[in-house]
Amino acid sequence: MKDKSPLVGVIVLAIVMILLIGSFAIPPSKQRLVLATTTSTQDSGLLDAILPDFESKSDCIVDVIAVGSGQAMEIGQNGDADVLLVHSPASEKQFVKDGYGTSRTLVAYNQFVIVGPTSDPAGITQAVNATDAFIRIYQNGTEGDAVFVSRGDLSGTHTKEKSVWVKAGLNISTFSDTWYFSTGQGMGAVLDITEQQTDKGYTLSDEATFYTRRETGIIPHLEILYQGDTLLFNQYSVIPVNPDRWPNVNATLATDFVNWLTSPDTQSMIGNFTDAFGHKLFVPNAGPGSAAETHRLSSQLQAAIAIRTD
Amino acid sequence: MNEILTTEGLTKEYGKKTAVSEISISVNEGDIIGIMGPSGSGKSTLFRLISLLEQPTKGKIVFDGEEISTSSSDVHLIRRNMALVLQKPAAMNRSVYNNVAFGLQLRGVDKEETERRVSEYLEHLGLTESRERNARSLSGGEMQRMCFARSVIVEPKLILLDEFTANLDPQNISILERAVRDFVKREGTAAIIITHNPFQAKRLCNRSALMMNGEFVEEGETSRIFNNPSDERTKAFVSGEMVF
Amino acid sequence: MVDAITYDVVQVTLLSLYVSGSATILGSLIGVPLGAAVGLKEFGGKGLLKTITYTMYGFPPVISGLFIYYVFSRSGPLGDFGILFTPTAMILAQTLLVIPLVAGVTITSVSEVDKNIKNTVLSLGASDRQATFTVIKEAWVGVITAVMIGFGRAIAEVGAAYMVGGNIEGKTRVLTTSIMLETRMGHFEYAMGLGAVLLIVACGVFLFMRWLQERELL
Repeated sequence: MKDKSPLVGVIVLAIVMILLIGSFAIPPSKQRLVLATTTSTQDSGLLDAILPDFESKSDCIVDVIAVGSGQAMEIGQNGDADVLLVHSPASEKQFVKDGYGTSRTLVAYNQFVIVGPTSDPAGITQAVNATDAFIRIYQNGTEGDAVFVSRGDLSGTHTKEKSVWVKAGLNISTFSDTWYFSTGQGMGAVLDITEQQTDKGYTLSDEATFYTRRETGIIPHLEILYQGDTLLFNQYSVIPVNPDRWPNVNATLATDFVNWLTSPDTQSMIGNFTDAFGHKLFVPNAGPGSAAETHRLSSQLQAAIAIRTD
Repeated sequence: MNEILTTEGLTKEYGKKTAVSEISISVNEGDIIGIMGPSGSGKSTLFRLISLLEQPTKGKIVFDGEEISTSSSDVHLIRRNMALVLQKPAAMNRSVYNNVAFGLQLRGVDKEETERRVSEYLEHLGLTESRERNARSLSGGEMQRMCFARSVIVEPKLILLDEFTANLDPQNISILERAVRDFVKREGTAAIIITHNPFQAKRLCNRSALMMNGEFVEEGETSRIFNNPSDERTKAFVSGEMVF
Repeated sequence: MVDAITYDVVQVTLLSLYVSGSATILGSLIGVPLGAAVGLKEFGGKGLLKTITYTMYGFPPVISGLFIYYVFSRSGPLGDFGILFTPTAMILAQTLLVIPLVAGVTITSVSEVDKNIKNTVLSLGASDRQATFTVIKEAWVGVITAVMIGFGRAIAEVGAAYMVGGNIEGKTRVLTTSIMLETRMGHFEYAMGLGAVLLIVACGVFLFMRWLQERELL
């Protein structure tokens, strides 16, 4: 007579689970710094390259949470992170003003570029500045010859895009969805969508994501058609979450992080960082943030502008 | 003669509808009582009341000297002394052996004793060859025989059978009826059989009652009821002529 | 380069099993008794409760993540536990998804057990609790199926894991969040590879459970 208990199987599974739990539920021995940043920062590979230096110097582990700019700041507002590294200057200034952040320190910058099809139906390679480029896209869009794909997600890139439309004197809410696509997606996905708009698609992208997708062959028909306007400047800043507001944050470690990020050694690491395809993606410009943003133009940008105005 | 079960004025009402009305019966050691009647007569409800599956609206039940009801705290211990065999055999998804042994396992009977008793009952009901088969794979007749063995192996004081041979072929009916007779005689217990078949009552029961619309129309010694019925309806029912 | 990838994938896979396995166990410990109780009893509002349970099959994982986030955020009621952005938060969020699934399938399995079995078992002298256990045992195959379905839902979801875990490398990065990350970065082939790993791992778990079932160990 068979006399097996069906609980044997349950016990076996329970033992397996206990082993797994044992290996994962061990409390961490090192201090942890929770860094909320944007997906474009993480995806560029910069953090993977430079953070180990900080981790060994401060004997800690940095937990990187990479989400959209809006979400990163929301996390900071709720006190769930110790420090933010984002690229949305207007929101950042408000964040500090509202008392959520202790300070705002510039770290590095790069630029946004306007990408589109090689055939360039809107002729933006002839544009004299970013605003002009956007106006050309608008004119061709309303005539059905061009399409603009927007992030539509309140990210740093999206905020920048909106500011250019505003500067060009155009009202986004009047844009027809036959040529202006508000996607609510990340940069990579937006570039993919732009690629699919054969000979028509334009978008505003950060350099790093564009280069990565271009080099891995995902967006073979897109090129940088306009760059160099200081309006397309993309500033990254670091903001420690205010311990007066959220006593639980690791304020000392956050301050150490800011100091390290802006130290000459780290700044030079940032400047020398290249992506897998040899592009230098960031220009270090550490310094205190100010109401009227000042920045030093890199030789790259200056050279680019020089070509533009030739 | 030992009184095993008596009921007094047992009544069940569902709102305005009365399913069982003032039923009083007395069951003694060695009795096989037949409760016959057409469908809707209330005999199944009576069955559920006596087996404590439902609470009566009025009346009392005395079992083995004690008054019992569904609200007793040890109702499951009381049930251990009453075996139920239902019309549709409910086989558990395990071997025939484990089905029959179930009641013994519940009571903590040791393995050797269980083995002995189960083998005996399997043999008695012609199921020895099917011991290890999954009970779900049995035919209707085999399953009912197994359910019978399962119910009486725990040596209850009373067996209650509700249309237990409906839908079975003559051979299985014969085996099961013989098993009831043997069991009652051997263990000195009693049985109550609910049936819509007057001929079954005639074969098996020493005392019978005809139930209609929740009441007993006539009751008494089976031979008298069949040979000399006093009520017209009884006469029609026992002759098999009553058509419903 | 190859070594780093192998190490990452193994760690990520084990974490996936830990998070989703724990959520399945927790969710089943709650869902099976709940489902059995609802399936076996008759009570007013039973139909409504069943409908709500089945509706929750479609509960969006990211909403579960949002809910857990709000509860365990520093700005939330249980923030002091500090479990946000840890595997524990992920387990809780996935448990919320598993419970209705396990409960619902259990309700269905238990309801399909012949009503007479409970009566028969009671008449053989079982207490109410013993009778309930016997009915659950009759429905056991269905219950195990419920647990497997719950596991499938947990290991395949990404919304909740991403929201409350933060996809932190080495700490809260699981297979699904890794796939999202790699896709976002344009590493489509790597993402597909991770997807294959997830399917193979899930398949392995189910095959193991079937194996136990066949040997009547489960």
